[in-house]
Amino acid sequence: MDIEQWIWLALFAPLVSFLTILATSSVISRRLVHLLACSSVFISFCCFLFFLYHSGGGGNPPLRATLFDWIATDAVHASFTVYIDALAIVMGLNITGVGFLIHVYSMGYMEHDEDYARYFGCMNFFIFSMLLLVLAANLPLLFVGWEGVGLASYLLIGYYYNREAAAAAATKAFVVNRIGDVGLLVGILLTFFLFQTADISEVLSKASTQMAVGAPALMLLTLLYFIGAVGKSAQIPLHVWLPDAMEGPTPVSALIHAATMVTAGVYLVVRMHPLYLMAPSTMHFVGAVGGTTALFAALCAVGQNDLKRVLAYSTVSQLGLMFLACGVAAFYAAIFHLVTHAFMKGLLFLAAGNVVHMMHGTTNMEKMGGLHQKFYLTHILFFVGVIAMSGIPPLAAFFSKDLILEEEFLAGAETLFAVGLIASILTAFYLTRAYCLTFWGESHIESKIAKVIREAPRVMLIPVCLLAVLATVGGFLGFSLDGPPPLERFLAHADITFNSKELGTGFHWTLETWLSTLGALVGIGSAAYVYLQIHEHEKQPEILTEAFYFDPFYESAFIAPLRALSKWIVGFWEPTVIDGSIYLAAHSASGGASWLQRMQSGQIRSYAAWLTIGLCLTLFYFMT
Amino acid sequence: MNQVEIQIGKYKQMVPIPYNPMLWFLAGLAFVAALGVILYRKPVHACLSFLLTLLSLAGIYLQLSAEFIAIMQVLVYAGAILVIFMFVIILFQDAHEQLRLFKAQSTSRLLYAAGAVLVLTILSFAGQIKSFSGEPASLPPDFGAVEPIGKALYVDFFFPFEAVILLFLVAIIGALYMGKKEKI
Amino acid sequence: MDLFVMIVTSFLMFAVGLIGVLAKRNTIILFLCVELMLNSANLLFVTFAWQWGNQIGLLWVFFVLIVAAAEAAVGLAIIINLFRARQVVDVDQFNLLRG
Repeated sequence: MDIEQWIWLALFAPLVSFLTILATSSVISRRLVHLLACSSVFISFCCFLFFLYHSGGGGNPPLRATLFDWIATDAVHASFTVYIDALAIVMGLNITGVGFLIHVYSMGYMEHDEDYARYFGCMNFFIFSMLLLVLAANLPLLFVGWEGVGLASYLLIGYYYNREAAAAAATKAFVVNRIGDVGLLVGILLTFFLFQTADISEVLSKASTQMAVGAPALMLLTLLYFIGAVGKSAQIPLHVWLPDAMEGPTPVSALIHAATMVTAGVYLVVRMHPLYLMAPSTMHFVGAVGGTTALFAALCAVGQNDLKRVLAYSTVSQLGLMFLACGVAAFYAAIFHLVTHAFMKGLLFLAAGNVVHMMHGTTNMEKMGGLHQKFYLTHILFFVGVIAMSGIPPLAAFFSKDLILEEEFLAGAETLFAVGLIASILTAFYLTRAYCLTFWGESHIESKIAKVIREAPRVMLIPVCLLAVLATVGGFLGFSLDGPPPLERFLAHADITFNSKELGTGFHWTLETWLSTLGALVGIGSAAYVYLQIHEHEKQPEILTEAFYFDPFYESAFIAPLRALSKWIVGFWEPTVIDGSIYLAAHSASGGASWLQRMQSGQIRSYAAWLTIGLCLTLFYFMT
Repeated sequence: MNQVEIQIGKYKQMVPIPYNPMLWFLAGLAFVAALGVILYRKPVHACLSFLLTLLSLAGIYLQLSAEFIAIMQVLVYAGAILVIFMFVIILFQDAHEQLRLFKAQSTSRLLYAAGAVLVLTILSFAGQIKSFSGEPASLPPDFGAVEPIGKALYVDFFFPFEAVILLFLVAIIGALYMGKKEKI
Repeated sequence: MDLFVMIVTSFLMFAVGLIGVLAKRNTIILFLCVELMLNSANLLFVTFAWQWGNQIGLLWVFFVLIVAAAEAAVGLAIIINLFRARQVVDVDQFNLLRG
């Protein structure tokens, strides 16, 4: 089979599956639905494995294929072209691999749900949009994928559309995303204006030749891209949608809001990294925003009582760390952490999903506790996720998070390094807290639920186990004793590499490594001590639980005035001014007509009077 | 041409005066009778006042040496038209009383305004024509006699004459037809 | 001087006739006032014929006289028909043409 056909198979298999499910959802059986959905994602995954093999460890040139000419005007032109280089292969494997595991998991999770087909259709649509996003060769096509994942996120968060909270959360996600999308769209238009093209390779090559480092146009351009990334990847100040997005089913949270969609922002920044290298002030800004978000979200996660919300804030925090890495041009570190984070967060979310599903939808940790006997395997898997995420060697985050911190230190960004370290310590702390509150301690479970709890079925356990394995050994992708690690060697073909060259010489225990490991142990230990021994359910400070009051602030600063404005428009402006002007036009015409009508009284004497007046005036005119 | 007899002591003499007092008297009479047309309440009285107007106008025409026109005025206007009017008034004599029962429908403001504008116009024109010079031309001896007018009608202005006769014929037939009772 | 008097008389008679048309409600009297206006025009014709010695003015008067007679006949026939339809002589009641 021709290589181009592999490309289209990889990209369109989920789309075909989505359309088929959409068309035949009422007649098709459940088994066929999930078979179709899971197999299409698996086919895409196999295609990406083939691309990996085909690229020969990155040696072969990247693939490029065009389907049709999409927009063909002079000023704005784009074609449906996909571009598969090392970065795209890594992202594609990530998306389809983790996506496939989550699809299998969903077979068990959504078993009792009646709208089975809609769920799997939307999930497949999401996979397709995300693949379109990472494989796009030009920015408009990327934007199509960008919007597509936003739409899929809306559909899936609002999956339980009967619940008002879910519908509101879906709308909030979409609207907040939209705010970021404005930045990206203006950025794309600016790209057309500056470079007369939006093809990514052409833009990157033209930028290096045509523009100077630190040019204001480049700073603006990169800033606009970053605004889009802030919206999609839930950084401050557009992070408010991600915690609320936990209203959707847990596999959705795992796939979209942990492993793949929220990483689209990081992908965008890394993909355009030559531009960022040429605009240092924006890059520093990216790092600052990332660091602030990482710290802020970690603090908020400490104060949450809802299991999924802890994980949501954790995602925000880890994304902040990825942007922190981008801030010091450590793009490889960001991608590496993205990949390992997908494994770990997916593991954590799915393990939590086991608990939530078996407890019939309870996510409040105040109603859990002491579940380690009932959920024997799940709690072990969750614990694996906790220690992996905290950065205990030799599990995954040890390599990836440690790499980020090392890059910060070596680049001389002392404050960012400190921020990252504190965020890591807090990560260990709150994850352990969540683990302890859920699985250990006194049981606060409602009695009627307590009777039906048992371990999750096999179909839900196996993907979690696989993810746990990946979380354990995944770090070794970025490990080598001597010379650059395999992942870096692969990504170097896409020009994504270390910032500090000494990191390419192999793994060493340095001061930063010690600091981060100790910090992780401190975090785990203190949380275990606090929550197992001394206080069980200490009331968290209000400010943390309320996430520093971001939501109420937005409500009062932006939403309430808009609501009042729209009320005013509906109540006053629309009926009085707009309708009034139409009425004015109509009434003045009819009023004028009825005033003139008075001249047509039918009275002869009145007519004679008008005649007389007209006659005299005419005489006057002619005589004088 | 107008002369009046004046007496200085025992000496009587005809002295020419530039104006004609008879004319002025007849003009005044015509105006007063015209006022009477609109001021009398009963229509019969108004019609009779109109008769007086016509007769005084005939007198004026005589003073202005238009004898044929004067006779025509008496014969046609006073003799025919006025008679028709009188007949119709008498025909509707019950209806005239009922006029008091109805309210006027036209707004009187408009009518007063029209009247005022009219009067203003008249006055301003009257002011302008004061400068007309007064001497009448010397009239030919047969001015206003029957013969020259007849000649003009039948020779120079034959076509308008016949046309107006035709018009008159049509008018009479029309009036006859309209005046008939419906059944016939 | 005579000319001025005649012209003024003619104007005044016309004004009286026009005010009568505006002011009177009896249809027949209204028509009578119209005849009055015609007469004032006749007077003006004769006056200027006398002033300028031109006999054509008198001829004009002749035609006006004929036409006035025809018009009076037809007009009164119309008034009779109006009365037969509406049973009133009030000119304000004939307002079917109002819009």
